[in-house]
Amino acid sequence: MTGALKPPSAFAITPHKVSLCILVQIYASPSQISVPFPFSSVSQHNRLGVYLLALTKSCDDILEPKLDQIITQLREIGGLLDHWLTDHLTSRLSSLSSPDDLFNFFNDMRGIVGGPDSGVMDDDQVILDPNSNLGMFLRRCVLAFNLLTFEGICHLLTNIGIYCKEAMSSCSSYELRRLDDSGNDLESLSEYENMDLNLVFKKINEEMEARKRATEQVSFHLHLPKELSTLVEDIEVFADPKSEHNDKGRESSPYASSGDLLRDFDPNGGVFLRTNWQIQGYLTEQADAIEKHGSSFTLNAFELTLRQLQKLAPELHRVHFLRYLNSLYHDDYFSALENLHRYFDYSAGIEGFDFVPPTGCNSFGRYEIALLCLGMMHFHFGHPKQALEVLTEAVRVSQQHSNDTCLAYTLAAISNLLSEIGFSTTSGILGLPFSPMTSVGTSLSVQQQLFVLLKGSLKRAESLKLKQLVAANHLSMAKFDLTHVQRPLLSFGPKASMKLRTCPISVCKELRLGYHLISEFCCEGSTMTTDGAFSTAWLKNLQKPMGSLVLSQDNSSRNNSNPFLFCTQPSSIPGSVLQLVGSSYLHRATAWEIYGSAPLARVNALVYATCFTDASSSSDAALVYVKLIQHLAVFKGYKEAFAALKIAEEKFLCVSKSRILILKLQLLHERALHRGHLKLAQQVCDELGVLASSVTAVDMDLKTEASLRHARTLLAAKQFSQAAAVAHSLFCMCYEFNLQVESASVLLLLAEIHMKSGNAVVGLPYALASLSYCQSFNLDLLRASATLTLAELWLSLGSNHTKTALSLLHGAFPIILGHGGLELCGRAYITEAKCYLSDPNFSVSDNPEVVLDPLRQASDELQALEYHELAAEAFYLMAIIFDKLGLLEKREEAAASFKNHIMALENSQNVEDPLLSV
Amino acid sequence: MSSKESCRSELRTAIRQLSDRCLYSASKWAAEQLVGIEQDPTKFTPSNTRFQRGSSSIRRRFRTNEITSTPPTGVAYVSTPVMEEDEVIHGDFYLLAKSYFDCREYRRAAHVLRDQTGKKSVFLRCYALYLAGEKRKEEEMIELEGPLGKSDAVNRELVSLERELSTLCKNNMIDPFGLYLYGLVLKEKGNENLACKVLVESVNSYPWNWSAWSELQSLCTTVDILNSLNLSNHWMKEFFLASVYQELRMHNESLVKYENLQGNFTFSNYIQAQIAKARYSLREFEQVEVIFEDLLRNDPYRVEDMDTYSNVLYTKECFSALSYLAHRVIMTDKYRPESCCIIGNYYSLKGQHEKSVMYFRRALKLNKNYLSAWTLMGHEYVEMKNTPAAVDAYRRAVDINPRDYRAWYGLGQAYEMMGMPHYALHYFRKSVFFQPIDSRLWIAMAQCYESEQLHMLEEAIKCYKRAANCNDTEAIALHRLAKLHRELGHPEEAAFYYKKDLERMEAEEREGPNIVEALMFLATHYKAQKRFEEAEVYCTRLLDYAGPERETAKNLLRGMRIAQSGFPSMDVEHFHS
Repeated sequence: MTGALKPPSAFAITPHKVSLCILVQIYASPSQISVPFPFSSVSQHNRLGVYLLALTKSCDDILEPKLDQIITQLREIGGLLDHWLTDHLTSRLSSLSSPDDLFNFFNDMRGIVGGPDSGVMDDDQVILDPNSNLGMFLRRCVLAFNLLTFEGICHLLTNIGIYCKEAMSSCSSYELRRLDDSGNDLESLSEYENMDLNLVFKKINEEMEARKRATEQVSFHLHLPKELSTLVEDIEVFADPKSEHNDKGRESSPYASSGDLLRDFDPNGGVFLRTNWQIQGYLTEQADAIEKHGSSFTLNAFELTLRQLQKLAPELHRVHFLRYLNSLYHDDYFSALENLHRYFDYSAGIEGFDFVPPTGCNSFGRYEIALLCLGMMHFHFGHPKQALEVLTEAVRVSQQHSNDTCLAYTLAAISNLLSEIGFSTTSGILGLPFSPMTSVGTSLSVQQQLFVLLKGSLKRAESLKLKQLVAANHLSMAKFDLTHVQRPLLSFGPKASMKLRTCPISVCKELRLGYHLISEFCCEGSTMTTDGAFSTAWLKNLQKPMGSLVLSQDNSSRNNSNPFLFCTQPSSIPGSVLQLVGSSYLHRATAWEIYGSAPLARVNALVYATCFTDASSSSDAALVYVKLIQHLAVFKGYKEAFAALKIAEEKFLCVSKSRILILKLQLLHERALHRGHLKLAQQVCDELGVLASSVTAVDMDLKTEASLRHARTLLAAKQFSQAAAVAHSLFCMCYEFNLQVESASVLLLLAEIHMKSGNAVVGLPYALASLSYCQSFNLDLLRASATLTLAELWLSLGSNHTKTALSLLHGAFPIILGHGGLELCGRAYITEAKCYLSDPNFSVSDNPEVVLDPLRQASDELQALEYHELAAEAFYLMAIIFDKLGLLEKREEAAASFKNHIMALENSQNVEDPLLSV
Repeated sequence: MSSKESCRSELRTAIRQLSDRCLYSASKWAAEQLVGIEQDPTKFTPSNTRFQRGSSSIRRRFRTNEITSTPPTGVAYVSTPVMEEDEVIHGDFYLLAKSYFDCREYRRAAHVLRDQTGKKSVFLRCYALYLAGEKRKEEEMIELEGPLGKSDAVNRELVSLERELSTLCKNNMIDPFGLYLYGLVLKEKGNENLACKVLVESVNSYPWNWSAWSELQSLCTTVDILNSLNLSNHWMKEFFLASVYQELRMHNESLVKYENLQGNFTFSNYIQAQIAKARYSLREFEQVEVIFEDLLRNDPYRVEDMDTYSNVLYTKECFSALSYLAHRVIMTDKYRPESCCIIGNYYSLKGQHEKSVMYFRRALKLNKNYLSAWTLMGHEYVEMKNTPAAVDAYRRAVDINPRDYRAWYGLGQAYEMMGMPHYALHYFRKSVFFQPIDSRLWIAMAQCYESEQLHMLEEAIKCYKRAANCNDTEAIALHRLAKLHRELGHPEEAAFYYKKDLERMEAEEREGPNIVEALMFLATHYKAQKRFEEAEVYCTRLLDYAGPERETAKNLLRGMRIAQSGFPSMDVEHFHS
């Protein structure tokens, strides 16, 4: 209840804390020697200290560890002291048999902590500094104990009994004195607990098994028919798929055995929550993990934990938010919606880390954050219109409550929405509340509005010093600059100065600005999580074999400082910042891809893949892999690309609409086109089309690509008029939704269609239009390829145009050879050879290498690509040249190759037919 | 008549058996019904029927449909044999245990019976242990209250009880009472399916234990579960069904059942109160008030269900009656959640919202899952403009019962108040989903759509249409529909709704600016349509009203005259005659 929030006295004394107190007492027993009694070396002493520190901070679970867990860990830590430590701990615990024992125990504890004036401490006397971490912990324990009622003390006593008994039942080697108050019910209770826990474990195990099975069986998901998967399978793959299989099974396919997991927990005496601070840390880490792993995060196991947490702490509302995230990333719309509303209803948007609402500052709650989240949720589920409506409301409410931070984030979200999802018009949606920002009104186009929004959001973020938001805004600005020509919003006077080109420099500038700000980032994020995460990592490493290896050599070497500290050193940069830096590299890669520099794109993608995959979300990481694999396919041929794809599939979950699946379809389509498997190509193309307009939302990019590929397939099947019709409607769509980069390639395709249909004259204007698009968007590689097409067009106009064609071609060669893929180079070479051959002034016998050399190059490259048609053409030309030169042997060789390719082209269709007739 | 007689004898035995087993609330219920059966007036002197004054009008109404609802059943109506099992010595122990039990010393009672093996002794021992566990649980709940909410205390006896009872059940050494307890334990442990089965077995072999029926009822959360139960016929089943229907919001079905039952149990206060509650859900406040008045006359110290009565008084704004009721219940039992709720209602009516909240809080302290108190407290917070607290209170209500449409509606209102109409829509949608027949909800949703921020008029029209189809007592919907259609430029639809609204206002003999507006629109509309006769009718009616419309109407008439005849102007008065 916001009206009546309880004071946060989150620290409750539990058996686990009592045993920590006992250990702290051992660690800091007042003695005169530098290494107190049980310890034989300083490092041993320190190790216990670090261990205790880690126990108070780690946030790897919601529940406090049981006694036997502590005993096992102590065994790792203590080395030779192990027996002494555990004996001492257990005997001390079991000696607490009456409330008075507890009183005395906590009185002793007070003695360990130094007084307030202990600034001048004896060097050799170990006394805990009251302001150190452990000192604070001890003081809190003492305070919490003093606040307990007598009933509370009785409960504590009972719980200590249960706590010891559980440990005893699991490791019987430790003889514990029986507690005298153990009644019938106590025994039955602990038995009952164990039963319950076993049940849970069994369930989780079952879930994992089922998941493993699921991943093993379903290798290729959802839409594709079986044959396609076999098609992929038949490519030889040299990677070893077994290596990671088990790990993957654990992470992937979260849908399994959901029904029986929904059973309720029975919380009981032996289960205690950790401190509030630790639980919040745990939840934060889990939230990060959900976001990072997306749908491969385990749904049910985590849901189980949340359920338990909710039962144990019903007023901890963050649980609902985590539930929302969990269902969001598993595409459960209704549950996500329900939990989002529930979270904000309870928390009013002001339940943060420290759980204490800032007193007095805002009694109205921060429901605008709820709107922001809801908007993002709709965006995630692909309801752009609703998202926009909600975000509009968020803008209005944040203005009303003058919550500038939220406003800045909302604006960023809206601009993100506008840039990601194609709106042909926003009229009627983006209305009134924006007028203060867009004083020009709503007569602007979507792009102009987006630009204004971006600028506004950037300015706000800068003035509010939200560094991450500034960086993110710079990135989206870069994205905008990349694909949009900037026009003045209001044009007065002569328009002479308008420059209709995108500006790569500004893209670069924005990217740099974003990066610059991030590098300035100095640990502003909460220290809590990193601290806790560090402790968690430290504790986890305890179980690793490496830990015991180090521990075995133990006290022999004093200066052997703790190696854990080095191997688990957490980076000081928060994950979210790393993500932003990473995505700036991703943007660079994309920018270079569009501008047409393959090596630079590859370098940036590689940087991302090596440095940022740990911090990035799995979808971003998948995107980088996709880019790299595409690069491989274009430059090295399909064999290598499919081998790499295999690896990527191992690494990422192949669910529907994942980038990896799309990539697979793309590669299959291209290969089918090249090999001449037109039916297969069409089938794959249809699959892509289905993915593009799934139930959730229409993906404009994918839709464009699917119909582009459709047109290409039709072209390959020599159905020119249909291909032209498809391409034409595609162009109309691109124009409507302002997809200008795509327009360029559609125009180029149109030119090609007309060329192949023998209408070179009609094709020319298209090629020229495409060229001008390429120029204004700085699409250098596409421009080179348009130039190539233009040259081909000229060439097909007759032999008197060969000069023009050749000069065009030579102009484009530097880029084609430097950045173009196998296909483009091959085509260029063949065209060059054809130019020479059709030039009446050129004689083969004079200078055979001028034509033979490019043809050889072309044939090599096209063979690698398995592009039978063009390869056959190259060999055909070679055979003719050899014939003219009189080199009969070589002629036969070329002719044989020609025949092979033609046969392959025809055969493939015959072979594939029965397979695809299903 | 014989069925009445048999009911009576059954109940008499049952009451003895139930109270012998310390199942007090069940025996209380049974006794209430026993007295509720109408006596044969010939046999009894008026002094005997003192408690059964059949004077009220409602009772007389139901006299007519004298349906003997007791169906022929497979259950043998033998009066259950008395004290068959335990020998005399053990009987002594039993008596001691029962005395301890009556003094609420449960563990002592259980201890006395530790070696007894008779079914009755076993039941009492287990029941005492169960109650001891429950008592301890309640105490622990307060002791263990953590900063993040209540730590879930559990009844620590459940495990051993379940083990023992299941063994007994397996060996067929269990009586219906034991089965009831077993079902209770299973339900607490969350094993609802088995609990259902066991409880069904219990009520089939011993139908007079109302506690078993109510446990079963709380497990029937959907109609499907209800239909899947294999219950043998008995008149007690009718009570059960009526109560389940009420919980499942099938108020009409429930009402039919209760009215049938009233044939035999004419004077049952219980049935009367249930009928009142059902009618309250159907918003028939007048009748509810009469029933409750009657009920209070017969049973002046009743606190149960009086919160419903206070709600009625609240809606009817009966200050003094509500204060009288509050006074009465507080004298009877101050620490009942119902009492606190009634006082809260009173303060709310007086506009003293802080005090009202205090009493609702107290009610919730006494019963954390008291649904209507959460909702009403939400209303108070809304009045106090403390929207976050209101949202919180409403949300707790819907988390206790997701079908509580009032709380969903409250949530929607709260968000609308904060200027978040789009966000509020989600909640309004929820509320109309659970209560699609309430026009107020539809109207609220429509107004949300109409708000200037959203301005989604098409959707608003759809909502108003739904509202108009439910009985919209305040007649907002028709008028808004007409207006919206006019604004959107649909004159035909606008005319249709104006006409309907007009008819309705005439039927209810209402006056006001709406009539003038409707007449005005219709007159101009029909004139524009060149349907002069109709236009003239409306114009003439407009002449009865003063104000500028009268002049406009005159002008319209004049204009029509000209258009119709081509003649120059004619005096209106002349035409009128």
